[in-house]
Amino acid sequence: MHPVKRIEIISDSVELGKIVEALEKIGVTSYSIIHNVSSKGIKGTVFDDSAVTMLDNVYVIAFCSPDKAKPVVEEIRPILNKFGGSCWISEVMEIRSVRCIASM
Amino acid sequence: MNMDVSLILSNILNPPVLFFFLGMTAIFVKSDLEVPPPIPKLFSLYLLFAIGFKGGVELAKSGVNQEVLLTLAAAILMACAVPVYTFFILKLQLDPYNAAAIAATYGSISAVTFITASSFLEQLNVNFDGYMVAALALMESPAIIVGLILVNLSTSEEESDREFSWPEVLQEAFLNGAVFLLVGSLLVGVLTGERGWQVLSPFTQDMFYGVLTFFLLDMGLVAAKRIKDLKKIGVFLISFAILTPILNAGIGLLIARLIDMPEGDALLFSVLCASASYIAVPAAMRLTVPEANPSLYISTALAVTFPFNIIVGIPLYQYGINLLWS
Repeated sequence: MHPVKRIEIISDSVELGKIVEALEKIGVTSYSIIHNVSSKGIKGTVFDDSAVTMLDNVYVIAFCSPDKAKPVVEEIRPILNKFGGSCWISEVMEIRSVRCIASM
Repeated sequence: MNMDVSLILSNILNPPVLFFFLGMTAIFVKSDLEVPPPIPKLFSLYLLFAIGFKGGVELAKSGVNQEVLLTLAAAILMACAVPVYTFFILKLQLDPYNAAAIAATYGSISAVTFITASSFLEQLNVNFDGYMVAALALMESPAIIVGLILVNLSTSEEESDREFSWPEVLQEAFLNGAVFLLVGSLLVGVLTGERGWQVLSPFTQDMFYGVLTFFLLDMGLVAAKRIKDLKKIGVFLISFAILTPILNAGIGLLIARLIDMPEGDALLFSVLCASASYIAVPAAMRLTVPEANPSLYISTALAVTFPFNIIVGIPLYQYGINLLWS
C-alpha cells in the first residue's frame, strides 16, 4: 500500500472543461466524472432540475501522487474562485501501484 | 372579457398544459413522483430536433420570400432590443451582472412555450407558417451576446477580472447543444424537404405531442420546486417576470401588425418575444457571467414567466390579436 492524494471536485458541468484541462496540465490524467449530481451548496441551492436548465452538477474524482497536490490546488483554485464549486484533497492509501505511484 | 376567459379555458384544457399542472400538483401535495434526470434532457433534445426539422421542411416548401425575410429581421431586432431595455429596468434594483444575465434570459426564447402556443393554435384551427421556427432559432443566441456587451460596458476593469474572450462567448452563444441541434435540424429539414418528412414522420409527427406532454409534466415538477426560490427573489423580480412578457408581447404584436404578419404567425412571434430562456442562456451565462446568481435568472424564467405564458400569456396575446387584427 502507498499513500496517494484523492482529489474530489463538485462544480457546474459548464466548468468541467476548464477543470479537466487544469488537471491534465499538472499531469493528473486519470480521473472519473459523474454527471447529474444533485447537491446543496453553501448558497443553499439544490440543483435538481439539471435536465431542463442544462446546468447539471458534475463530480470529478482523481488520484495523484502527493507532490502533485499543491500544483493542482494552484490551478483549480482560480477556477473555483471565479465560477464556484468545491474541492477537497485527502490522503488515502492505494492498494495496487498502477498509475499514481508509477509516476513518483 | 368573455372571449378572454374562453381562450384561457381552451388553452388550459389541453393535455400538455393539464400535465404541467399535474407536475406542479405532485410537488405541492408532496408526492414522490420524479422523472429520472437523463429523460427530460433526452425529451428536450427530441423537441428541439422535431420542431427544427418540421420548420426546415416548411421553409423548404415556402421558400425565402419578402414575408419570411421581414419576419426574420423582426425576430433579430426583438432579440437584440429586449435585453437592452430590460437591462436598464433591472438596473434600477440589481447589480450589472445580475441585470445583464436576467436581461439576456428574457431576450432569448423558450422553445417549449413556442411549441405549446403552436398546439394552442392547432386547437383553435388557426394556421401558422413553419418558417416561424427559423425565427425561433435566430432568437436563441443574440441576447447572449448583447447581455455580455452590456455587462462589459457597465462594469469597470477594476470591478471584474473578466477576460472577455470572444471565441468563448461566440462558442457558447451559437454552438451550445440546444442551438446547434435546433439550427442543424432546421437545415436537415430544408435539405430533405417533404421526402425527409415522410421518412421521419412516425418519429417527428406521431410521437410529438406525447413527448411534449410528458416533458411538460417534468416542467411542472421543476417549476413548482423553483417556486420556493421566489421568496428570495422578491416583489420586484416577480413583478418584472410577469409584466415584461406582457410588454414584450405587446411590442411584438405591434411589429407583427406593422409588417402584416398572418394571425397565427403573429401569436407565435409575440410568444417568442414574451418568453424567457431556461435551456441555452443559463448555461452560457453561468460560464460567461459567473458573478450573476443562477437562482435569480433561472427561477424568474422557470417559476414565474414560463407558467404565466403557458397558462395566461398565450390566450392573452391571442386576445390582443383578435382586437388588433379584427
